Amino acid sequence: MATDPNPGGLISLLQDIQARYGYLPADQLKAVAQKTGRPLTDVYGVATFYRSFSLKPRGKHLCSVCLGTACHVRGGPIIADEFSRQLDAPAGETTADREFTLETVNCLGACALGPIVVVDGHYFSNVSPVGVKEIVERARAGLDRVEVKTDQRIFPVEVSCARCNHSLMDAEHLVDGHPSIRVTLAFNSVHGHIWLSSLYGSFNVESDHEIPMDTVADFFCPHCHAHLTGSANCPVCETPMVPMIVRGGGIVQICSRRGCRGHILDIGGQVF
Amino acid sequence: MERLNSIEQLRALAARITADRDPQIPVIVISAGTCGQASGANDLIRIAKREILANGLADRIALRVTGCHGFCQAEPSAVIEPDGTFYPKLGIKEMARVVHAVGHGEVAQDLLWRDPGTRRRVQKQSDIPFFRAQTRTILASNQKVDPIRIYTYIENGGYSALAKVLWSGDPSRVVEEVKASGLRGRGGAGFPTGRKWELLANQPNGRPKCLVCNGDEGDPGAYMDRSVLEGNPHSVIEGMLIGAYATGAAEGVVYVRTEYPLAIKHLIIALRQAREIGLLGSGILGTGFHFDIRIVKGAGAFVCGEETALMRSVEGERGEPRPRPPYPVEKGIEGRPTVINNVETWANIPLIVSGGAAAFARTGAPGNTGTKIFSLVGKVKNTGLVEVPMGVTIGEIVNEIGGGPSGRSEIKAVQTGGPSGGCIPASMFDLPIDYESLAAAGSIMGSGGMIVMDQSTCMVDVARYFMNFLKDESCGKCFTCRKGTQRMWEILDDIASGRGEPEQLDLLEELAAVVKDTAMCGLGQTAATPVLSTLRYFREEYRTHIERKYCPATVCRSLFQYRVIAEKCTGCALCVRVCPSGAITGPRKEPHNLDQSKCIKCRACADVCKFDAIAGDAIVAVPSR
Repeated sequence: MATDPNPGGLISLLQDIQARYGYLPADQLKAVAQKTGRPLTDVYGVATFYRSFSLKPRGKHLCSVCLGTACHVRGGPIIADEFSRQLDAPAGETTADREFTLETVNCLGACALGPIVVVDGHYFSNVSPVGVKEIVERARAGLDRVEVKTDQRIFPVEVSCARCNHSLMDAEHLVDGHPSIRVTLAFNSVHGHIWLSSLYGSFNVESDHEIPMDTVADFFCPHCHAHLTGSANCPVCETPMVPMIVRGGGIVQICSRRGCRGHILDIGGQVF
Repeated sequence: MERLNSIEQLRALAARITADRDPQIPVIVISAGTCGQASGANDLIRIAKREILANGLADRIALRVTGCHGFCQAEPSAVIEPDGTFYPKLGIKEMARVVHAVGHGEVAQDLLWRDPGTRRRVQKQSDIPFFRAQTRTILASNQKVDPIRIYTYIENGGYSALAKVLWSGDPSRVVEEVKASGLRGRGGAGFPTGRKWELLANQPNGRPKCLVCNGDEGDPGAYMDRSVLEGNPHSVIEGMLIGAYATGAAEGVVYVRTEYPLAIKHLIIALRQAREIGLLGSGILGTGFHFDIRIVKGAGAFVCGEETALMRSVEGERGEPRPRPPYPVEKGIEGRPTVINNVETWANIPLIVSGGAAAFARTGAPGNTGTKIFSLVGKVKNTGLVEVPMGVTIGEIVNEIGGGPSGRSEIKAVQTGGPSGGCIPASMFDLPIDYESLAAAGSIMGSGGMIVMDQSTCMVDVARYFMNFLKDESCGKCFTCRKGTQRMWEILDDIASGRGEPEQLDLLEELAAVVKDTAMCGLGQTAATPVLSTLRYFREEYRTHIERKYCPATVCRSLFQYRVIAEKCTGCALCVRVCPSGAITGPRKEPHNLDQSKCIKCRACADVCKFDAIAGDAIVAVPSR
């Protein structure tokens, strides 16, 4: 296996395509057949054998209603029907406006909390028929959206350089209405400043140069000019992270890749 | 991360981490597996950090984010170490109060778990009946370990079992130890793990050998493997390392369902950290031993839990089973000798090596040693993952740990073993849970799903549910499985829809026997079990569906209609509020009206009514024959 250039075979190729397009477009399946030298029927065979592959484009929001045994005995099928009624689309289909895809899944493994529904990666537990409408409405508005001003889960932090301990806070330059965190950064041949929101949970940044998405930048302390990139890697994308000392006792590490929200906030001075 | 180049360095690191930790500082442990996160654990983590920082408590309180603690019913929950104070069902405000209480060395009495029977508050986790009656050798570690930090695993004795076998330098002794422990495969079939390893170790040299961790937990209703992979991935990695050392395997595969994103994420991080620190790859702990593990994500096919189908899926192909022999241990992934063990089996290995086979075998019953994790779900008060010694009775699990029925309705049966298992009636709850007893009762151990059913669960519907599942998941290779499951489902659907005939019960049994005898793999061979076991214990319910065209559990929607019992209805309007289709109307304090034409029979009204004023009647009165 270690010598196999494509150890995952057809499945991993198709998983990559689905991750990119959200479904398996016909021309991509043909491309896979050509690339691997396999007949198209084999590729199609694998694509239709497994439940997680879709040959049709899917909606912006994905609603998965669990129909595992525990959810079934707690009324999962009724929840699936109610989603179908609210969205006007049968299970396995996408709404006409391409907003929602409704699917049923065999078991999500959160059986104690059934009936379970997952919408865009957010879990809803003990769903009742009358609660379905609200879930759809919240999904339409965007489940990832947070109100920076009112959300209790978002709170300001003050940070300093992990090398010289000089404060990195910039009271002049506000982001999200709060003093920002100012560091210098470099990517490609660009040097400049970036102001990060000091609200834990907000991912807003401002900078004097546009930073293209997915750029991995080097971060420096504007006071001691030390290279701030640390030794730990981002739990989401494995890019090196930038540690900063949090006032009150802790270390926050943020991913150095533009657009990645990976971060770790450790409380206390624990080294391990 | 510093690389460990010897067993001594591993031991020194463990000692250093322990010395670094002040045991006096209380730790807030937040349970954040999938169940916890689904219930809001991520918000609690945020709030705990906010409060600790804002109040300058960082050097007085430590925080640990872990996988699932098992008491899913109580999520999101937190445990305070070292005293074991347990706080269930915390909200944002309550979490803030917990931080303050811990900071002041106090206990927030009104947030403690309350016993529904005595109505007394219980402070310690270990005093709560749900936890007290368990033997948590595997699950307890979930609480100790932060799955994305390998140091917390090492701090708790992690990888010391690996160090022990490397130190001993005798692979065959490891195989003997696992054999002596009596450990049997936790994936369902119960094959002795040590014997499997011995067969692999004895394969002729020269061909690279392969170890697989089967994390394709497809049985709906079972999720202990997810919990272990999410909460303690290093225990699986260590188990596989020990297995590799014992059998001479050089490469490992963890096959995980794609439906478990958090398990995959934690496993990826754990593998990377193990590799960085020198516990995977070549020259492990400075010895000549080398082994590495990669992850293969499943793509959603139940049959891939079957070992020969799983191997095809690992190779990237359609997951169709093939006949055995040859067994995977002779001819496995890409023709290489392969051993496939389930997640929970692997997680048991470090325990056996650390504590010794004899100690392991003392738990449980002869022939059924050790503990088994069950997912206790459905119509039971305390739902969650429970770990008990093999051989305890079903009743002990359902009534003592589970706390009995969740509602007012009596418990009717327990379904074990997923789609390949059966339903065991409440009258048989003194049955000990071991591989043989369950098989004799017409069910199976399976991977440990335990779904409790009460009077509002229809057994015909349960059989139809599983058959629908199996007909969809049958790979289609064997004709009798493909067509047999389809035909059985059609008959069950007829019965559940009011089209059933008495002769169909015999036909069902005949079909079941044929599918069982002729299918090639486990999926087909056991496909009839749900039908046969419900027919065996609940034939009367089938008859009522067929003869009276009535579903007494009010589940089969063609076979009943709801009615408001005017004499019982107090007009509290609770049902009006939960009805999603607006079928119930009426002014408060007067018996409500139920419009049959609007009713979608979702049962929301019947579930919420406190006066049993919603009745499910037969639609047509059919004279009984």
